[in-house]
Amino acid sequence: MLKGHQSWVFANRPMISATGVTGGPFEANGKLANDFDLLYEDLWMGKESYEKAHRLLLEEAIKMALKKGEVQKEQVQFLFAGDLINQITPTSFAARTMQIPYFGLFGACSTSMEGLALSSFVVNYQGAKYVLTGASSHNAAVEKQFRYPTEYGGQKPPTAQWTITGAGVALVQPNEPEKLHPVTTSATIGKVIDMGLTDPFNMGGAMAPAAADTIMAHFRDLKLDPSHYDLIVTGDLGRVGHDTAFELLNKSGLKMERKQFQDCGLLMYKDDQPVQSGGSGAGCSATVLYGHLLNQMKKGTYQRMLVVATGALLSPLSFQQSESIPCIAHAVAIEMNGEKG
Amino acid sequence: MRARYRLILFTCVFFLAACSHNQPAKDSQLALMKTTNPKPVVTDKSKNRNRIEEIKKEVSSFPQIYDVAVVKGKKDTLVAYKVKHLHRFSMKKIEKNLTKMLEEKYPKEKFTVSSDYKIFLETIRLDERMKSPKFSHREAEKRFKEIVKMTEATK
Amino acid sequence: MRMESKQKKQNTTLQQRNYQQLQQKHEIKRPVLKNCIKAFFVGGLICFIGQAVSYFYIYFFNFTEQSVGNPTVATMVFFSMLLTGFGVYDRIGQFGGAGSAVPVTGFGNAVISAAIEHRTEGFVLGVGGNMFKLAGSVILFGVFSAFVVALVKTLLVIWGVL
Repeated sequence: MLKGHQSWVFANRPMISATGVTGGPFEANGKLANDFDLLYEDLWMGKESYEKAHRLLLEEAIKMALKKGEVQKEQVQFLFAGDLINQITPTSFAARTMQIPYFGLFGACSTSMEGLALSSFVVNYQGAKYVLTGASSHNAAVEKQFRYPTEYGGQKPPTAQWTITGAGVALVQPNEPEKLHPVTTSATIGKVIDMGLTDPFNMGGAMAPAAADTIMAHFRDLKLDPSHYDLIVTGDLGRVGHDTAFELLNKSGLKMERKQFQDCGLLMYKDDQPVQSGGSGAGCSATVLYGHLLNQMKKGTYQRMLVVATGALLSPLSFQQSESIPCIAHAVAIEMNGEKG
Repeated sequence: MRARYRLILFTCVFFLAACSHNQPAKDSQLALMKTTNPKPVVTDKSKNRNRIEEIKKEVSSFPQIYDVAVVKGKKDTLVAYKVKHLHRFSMKKIEKNLTKMLEEKYPKEKFTVSSDYKIFLETIRLDERMKSPKFSHREAEKRFKEIVKMTEATK
Repeated sequence: MRMESKQKKQNTTLQQRNYQQLQQKHEIKRPVLKNCIKAFFVGGLICFIGQAVSYFYIYFFNFTEQSVGNPTVATMVFFSMLLTGFGVYDRIGQFGGAGSAVPVTGFGNAVISAAIEHRTEGFVLGVGGNMFKLAGSVILFGVFSAFVVALVKTLLVIWGVL
């Protein structure tokens, strides 16, 4: 149901019944290693190319989600997924393997929430019984796509971020009231915001206004205030973007505590890992949300949270032609089942 | 991580050990790093040593130069020298002045002048080899000519 | 560069400019002085190794100070190739910055990293076509500027200035 200008409220509260999260070696050394279902020991993952490894990450995450949800892949109606590589081939190739009807999404690093919002919408209106949604990224494949070769010894500035290697997939299905699972209650679709920043090594700074815009739109549309959520978590703003977004929100009158406002990119890695400003990539918000955050939610740490995944909609071509970086953010609100919001 | 440090340590020790292995260091081994101040070399016994000593003194009096080796062959005279580090930018000028000075003072001699480390090193090696009785004067002259030829390539 | 940024400023709206100012506050600055010091030592260390290599060639082979450059450069590029292949050079690069990018080892790294990166696309179109992706412009503009300098010198000689 449309509420306000750009938000949906899911009256039937679609349920995230299972998730599958895979990661790479760098994530295995991170803070959230225990929240991954499957961690690979090296970036190649036994494949001949990074792109194939990228595909494998997503395939394994999908299989894991299906196994944990005790669902056969034939029962799943749709797959909403995407990544960052040329024409999202890793995801499309994984969809070829899985043989699930497939919507390919591209929202850069906001793909995870774009997919979750759409699948919740579809499930909410009985468009499907089971929907899989997810996003993935592979450090070496993405670096190759957007920046320099992996082994190139260029110095990254402290505002740069580390593309995570990982895939997060969620199985969304109609609510079953007796089951204690997280459910999606509302979503806000963001618009593309461009503040004229051009530095591809400072994505956080470029994406922060998009995140702030979507969060403000969410509270405006749903007529809520930030205290409604235990946690408002952004996708991959990193240190720079996260601080900036926090200030933007405070200036606009949305008062929240620092503890209540987190960032997936900052949660992922330990302080001593050389990731500069934090993690990023399409898989960042997907792995942290479907792994760590939902686990925490099931433990009862959080009751309600708002996940805002941000994406920088640039391509290697566009920034070489010195275009600025347009950004987008989508928000989905997640609660524990049984809670009455 | 541990293993890597150990590897680095090992390589360091290995290289240092390799350096300090041959105890009685010959002059030629360190000729590039320190001031050797070699005695002038004469490949031909018949030649006059005094003049060569004089040439060496003349060249050493240049303030920009700190180490001089002179070799006298049958015809040519080779002057190899090292230029003080801060004066290396004006090496060409020094070479010009030096050649001019030598040619004016000793118009009869034919000089080959070089500031190349390699030439310097080879003159010292030649000197060392000549100390051995097996090394004849003819061989020395031959090697000397080779060095002079090598100097031409550095010009 | 200056012109360009000025133009860009004029094209931005007031809202964008306000945001950019706010964002600047939070942007983590590059520690320039620290980077310079690190670059000095890393670059110095690489040059020290290069000097050692060239002395090695002078001592044990028939190279003079003039001709030792070529084998030394080749050896240094070989070292950087090994380090790149073992995945060490990018870490040195992150630490040393310009210190490891400016010496010839940085050039070798740019070539070899691109070659490794595109190996999965085949040897002809992948490695061959992309090897000079980063280093190609160095070669192009290096050769071009050498040409310009040579041209200027030739003209000066013809006009009798030199």
